[in-house]
Amino acid sequence: MSETSNVSSQAAGQSHKRRFAMVVDIRRCIGCMACQVACKAEYDTPLGVNRTWVPYKVTGKYPTVSRKFLPRLCNHCEDPPCVRNCPVGATFVVEDGGFVLQRYERCIGCRSCMAACPYNARFMLPSHRTYTPITNVVDKCTFCFHRVTQNLVPACVQTCIGRSRVFGDINDPNSEVSYLIATNPTQVLRPEQGTKPHVFYIGADRNQTEFGRDGYKPVEVMEQERAAFKLHFKL
Amino acid sequence: MGEYVWFHDVSWHSAYAIYFFVVGILAGLSFLSYGSWITPALRPLREKAAYISVVLLGVGGALLVADLSQPLRFLNTLNPMYMHFTSPLAWGALNIAAFGICSVLYIWTLFKKEEKYGKWLATLTALLALGLPIYTGYDLSVHQSRPVWNTPVMPVLFVALAVASGSAAGSLLAGSNMVAQKVLREYMLWSTAAVGVVLIGVMGTTNYGGAAEELTFAILTTGTMGLIFVGFGILGGIALPVGLLLTSTGQQHRGILMIAAALILLGSAALRYGILMAPQQMQTLF
Repeated sequence: MSETSNVSSQAAGQSHKRRFAMVVDIRRCIGCMACQVACKAEYDTPLGVNRTWVPYKVTGKYPTVSRKFLPRLCNHCEDPPCVRNCPVGATFVVEDGGFVLQRYERCIGCRSCMAACPYNARFMLPSHRTYTPITNVVDKCTFCFHRVTQNLVPACVQTCIGRSRVFGDINDPNSEVSYLIATNPTQVLRPEQGTKPHVFYIGADRNQTEFGRDGYKPVEVMEQERAAFKLHFKL
Repeated sequence: MGEYVWFHDVSWHSAYAIYFFVVGILAGLSFLSYGSWITPALRPLREKAAYISVVLLGVGGALLVADLSQPLRFLNTLNPMYMHFTSPLAWGALNIAAFGICSVLYIWTLFKKEEKYGKWLATLTALLALGLPIYTGYDLSVHQSRPVWNTPVMPVLFVALAVASGSAAGSLLAGSNMVAQKVLREYMLWSTAAVGVVLIGVMGTTNYGGAAEELTFAILTTGTMGLIFVGFGILGGIALPVGLLLTSTGQQHRGILMIAAALILLGSAALRYGILMAPQQMQTLF
């Protein structure tokens, strides 16, 4: 796998600018969570919060059981409700590339953006961190802006062992993401919200991408983990 | 089937519901203080309502600032370089600031007994007070991914709640003044009934929405949240006080009015808590 992203500079400065997007091919995801670990390593994201995470659902009955993964991250929407809702302009869209980023020094911590995000992609950083003074502000995935501007792909894409995650410019017809989107049926999360997300899924399980009625039923497993989470966060 | 759900926290906690409650009362009291200029029966409430309104603004403002994870940056909301007017919070910050300034000026005129400017400032203060429940309701309704919040009647509901809460607080302040109580009874009755009608509409459409809406309806009406929202909010805060207010038709019973007022205050607090918290529960699992 190439370390450089397939970004064409031909589109830059033209009528259509670069628009980065990620394709997550669920058929290739093995649930190793390496993307989550790579992201943690890249940003030193504190315990309990994540810029990217991989929830799963076990479907079927023995012997036809399968585990469905759905890697999640900020969707870097074309029409992001978090940007509209920020009262101080702390969150903004980078025109060239479409990155939705956060100005930490401006964020007041009102959590409006968190409430507005249909994808739960934003989280509050804790008050104490070891290696950085960035605390008590809202944080989120940046599509690894600092890496992409150096012609590298995001850390999660770089580390994805199944090559499930692919990153690139969808305005570039020669990019891999353009090819994948053009040649495969893709889904986005919560399209009814009209946010025009830029994380595309191939082969996503509808039971995970949509709200189901599972909430009516008690969860059969993970009770220990749920109890530990509640205890840890004093819920 | 077994699933690994990532646990998300809700964005806004109960401090925000208390803020909504306080802002509703102070807006309602401002309406009453303004009303005293055109309804002589409310004259005894003019100063009391105005003073308490400003005190509550201090309490509400402190709550709002303390709820920020960066409290000292609250001034950013008033920084012209940072103001972002697509956010209802930006308008809300300006509204609160303008209301605070006008309220202080209004109190000054009341203190100096300057009738000339008093009515003019009372009108301006009441108009700005009307903006407070409108912006808080709008603050929720812009979040289109959240069931219940995304209904356009949220600002209307919060205005009705403000009138109900303010009238109830006014009734407790009016005490034995039965002339004022008679007017306040009308305000409490109609505004509380309006809250009930709007909630019937909201709950009806929520129950007939998609899976997320249905689950939010289930969260609102069952378990602990059901006790708070339906028990304390709808039954205790709307149905019971409306029944009590209807029984006191003709001759005013001070005790009944006071009980109804206390129930309306308790119920409006419970309703605001339910409306704020329940729609956030569903998405924590997505």
